[in-house]
Amino acid sequence: MSTLRGAIDASASALNAQRARIEVAVSNIANAESTRGPDGQPYRRRDIVLATEPVESFDQALGRAGASGVRVASVVEDTEPFRRHYEPSHPDADAEGYVAMPNVDVPEEMVNMLGAARAYQANLTAIGLIRDTIQRALELGR
Amino acid sequence: MPIDAIDTSSVVARAARTGSTPAGPASGSGGAASSSGFADSLIGMLESADRTAGDANTAIANMVRGTGDVHEAMIALQRAETALQLTVQVRNKLMQAYQDVMRMPI
Amino acid sequence: MNEITDRAILAALGRQMNQAVQRQSVAAGNLANLDTPGYKARTVSFGDVLEDELQAGAPLARTSPGHLGGITPADGAATEVEGLAARRDGNTVQLDRELLNMTRASGEFGAAQTALAAKFRLVRYAINEGR
Repeated sequence: MSTLRGAIDASASALNAQRARIEVAVSNIANAESTRGPDGQPYRRRDIVLATEPVESFDQALGRAGASGVRVASVVEDTEPFRRHYEPSHPDADAEGYVAMPNVDVPEEMVNMLGAARAYQANLTAIGLIRDTIQRALELGR
Repeated sequence: MPIDAIDTSSVVARAARTGSTPAGPASGSGGAASSSGFADSLIGMLESADRTAGDANTAIANMVRGTGDVHEAMIALQRAETALQLTVQVRNKLMQAYQDVMRMPI
Repeated sequence: MNEITDRAILAALGRQMNQAVQRQSVAAGNLANLDTPGYKARTVSFGDVLEDELQAGAPLARTSPGHLGGITPADGAATEVEGLAARRDGNTVQLDRELLNMTRASGEFGAAQTALAAKFRLVRYAINEGR
């Protein structure tokens, strides 16, 4: 049970992490055209950094490798420079008529979002499979 | 693990031993041919129960090894269960019949 | 003819279930780290102790401190999978492969569990003498 519990914890941690990735992608897409934020600067793209996190379980005590979960290590800002578009009519255009646009590439964000959604779904399926195994194990006691 | 102290074939063997004894005295009063027929058929069923249990173990071993199919093991298990149930029920009926006979006033 | 004892079968079935559970656990860990940079997909392998158990009718040998008599924990340690191509972020986990492994392990567990339940039922029936 401990092994399976660890496995469910690992999958559950992935649900959190992938959902965070989706949220960040959504935020990036929503702000793809924000040329002036609260600090007067264009929106800077954000990215999620994931890291492996071992899950506590008896396996370690018995010398077996336990399942590894995942966590959001940090949310970082993309340091890619802003793109400059020539658009003199834009309210935020500078003296030469260029506007600094957020460093967001919408198609790339869509791909990330779809990947995160797919991973979320896969981990959800995994939880279902593990839960089924636990239920079958319980049936042995009947 | 306590489960390995109980072997299905040994339990059935014990059941058959107690089941076949009543057939002995009865054969003295009734027809010898018919009552030993009961004992024989019970022993035959017992052997069948033992055999199907062994076949089930073999089928399970094959399933676990990967050389056999799951459904084969399940079918073998069902056969073993049926054979065992048949044996035990026949033995119970024989016991009942023996006790009925013994209760008859002479 | 090689007589396979009930005890050997029960031990082998228990072992099969342990192995299936460990495979599921490893696959879950891999799926969780599908997008972790640099993570290498892991797998777990077992020695052919199953076969040894089935051959010997004798009490199971304790060859490792982790062994209990009877149903022993599978001695699989997780190792990295060889020969998998890494993506741009260094990750080698393949979603379909892990889901397939997990589904397969689920099936193996179910088969062993059903067989074990049937064996228990047989023994219980013999004990109750059909009453």
